[in-house]
Amino acid sequence: MAKKSFFKRITLWRYLFLTGCFITVIGNPFANYYWDVNFIQGWFQSIGIGNLWVVSPLEGLESILTAKFFYMPSLVGMVIPVTLASLMGRVFCSWMCPIEFLSLLTDKVLGLIPKWGNSLKYRKDLVRFAKYTLWFALVAELMVTMIIGYPMFVWWSPPGLVGRETMFYVFYKHVTVEVFIVIFVLLLNLITRRMFCRYFCPLGATLALIGKRRQLVIEYDASKCVGCKICDKRCPMGISPSVGESQTVYCWNCAECVDVCPTSALNFVWRDRGFITLPKGSKQGSAV
Amino acid sequence: MEKERKTDRREFLKVTLGAFIGGALFSSCSLSDLKNPKTMVKSPIKTNILRPPGAVPEEHFAQKCIRCGRCGEVCPYHCIKYFDVKTGGVFSGTPYIDVMEKPCYLCMKCVYVCPTGSLVPCAKEEVRMGVAVINRQICVTWQQDKTGLMCKTCFNVCPFSGVAIKIDHDFRPYIIEENCTGCGICAYSCIADTYPENNGKKAISIQPIKWKKIKQIKLEDIKKS
Repeated sequence: MAKKSFFKRITLWRYLFLTGCFITVIGNPFANYYWDVNFIQGWFQSIGIGNLWVVSPLEGLESILTAKFFYMPSLVGMVIPVTLASLMGRVFCSWMCPIEFLSLLTDKVLGLIPKWGNSLKYRKDLVRFAKYTLWFALVAELMVTMIIGYPMFVWWSPPGLVGRETMFYVFYKHVTVEVFIVIFVLLLNLITRRMFCRYFCPLGATLALIGKRRQLVIEYDASKCVGCKICDKRCPMGISPSVGESQTVYCWNCAECVDVCPTSALNFVWRDRGFITLPKGSKQGSAV
Repeated sequence: MEKERKTDRREFLKVTLGAFIGGALFSSCSLSDLKNPKTMVKSPIKTNILRPPGAVPEEHFAQKCIRCGRCGEVCPYHCIKYFDVKTGGVFSGTPYIDVMEKPCYLCMKCVYVCPTGSLVPCAKEEVRMGVAVINRQICVTWQQDKTGLMCKTCFNVCPFSGVAIKIDHDFRPYIIEENCTGCGICAYSCIADTYPENNGKKAISIQPIKWKKIKQIKLEDIKKS
């Protein structure tokens, strides 16, 4: 089994990027509170870096749906995440989301346990739902929002809450009860890896929907594959790259499978004519 | 195996959905409020608990706000606070200013970072967070026959003193409601609570106002609220 050299691993860069994003979000309230550095404000619901404003697509959409009002800065702020998602799919989830960082950290810590470490790190899923549960979550979220008339995901979004709780702790020296949502989501990880991200995250569903015809996909080369199925075991999203499922909407481009593949049968490709040609593995993309 | 599992899944989904919707509804409203959908959720905005400057009307505020917390992070005095799910229900995460803890000093930084238009950029004197109301039974200057004091504190601290607060020939303060921004500095610094007979009550409180647009304040609206 020829392992990739340390610096050629894509996951290494993913971990670094995740850590960087996490430190930005966590450190940002400290910078604002103690040094009055307002260069970066907010977190993943809306982050302002200097004059660059980014608004999370689902939160922005909910705000528009309930207020029935378009506000240009909010729409312009949604351009960057929507473009990113339409080109690269759910990369926010796998490369930036603080929940993914914390889940990854739990996995790594579990992996340090001697003897069982490796089997805990890549544990089997105890509960599996249909993959399309994700869409139900999105629809349910939007329906509840419209019925109540107030955006819901804006306050219970776990990635946003990580930033909010940090800010609460730094600014007001206490955390709110919403921190249990984050803890609950992280605990769900113990049942099934990334259970919340896979099945229940409305934001992930939005990004997956936008990125259905994404350009950046993990291509599966059947001629190189030796059928070792390591990729299936490693995949945190519970899909099987070994049958070409990495090109479906449920893949979040985290590159775990790319790095472990001993024969490099899985590779990132940039599909230039993605809107014209169908993805190779689209036939196998059936749910369940 | 697949068929047996399927019913389980569905039931689980139904229960989760039901629990989510029910929980969200129950946490934020009582049954009597459900008769009129407009009063389904009650705003936690009340006397001395106000929205930051430039806020859109309260009935739209929580719909527009995406709880990004940027207004609170740029506030140099750290006077913007946030409701949590206990105090605010579905208003959880929306900003407010408790003028009795820290009033707004009208630096107008927050209005320029709001990404959703919940806080509309405006000039200092256009801010209408609320309106100050003087309780003349408690104000030490209005009760100067009893107290023998002439205080003038609210007049001195008001950022628009002489415009929003005026004093008459006996130094008794009165509010010009059209010009009051509701920043709450006067309420915060009122000394009436130190006077023993008042039992810690302040003579000025800020009442939230129900208004339509930022520049269309009418006197009747202020009087109503």
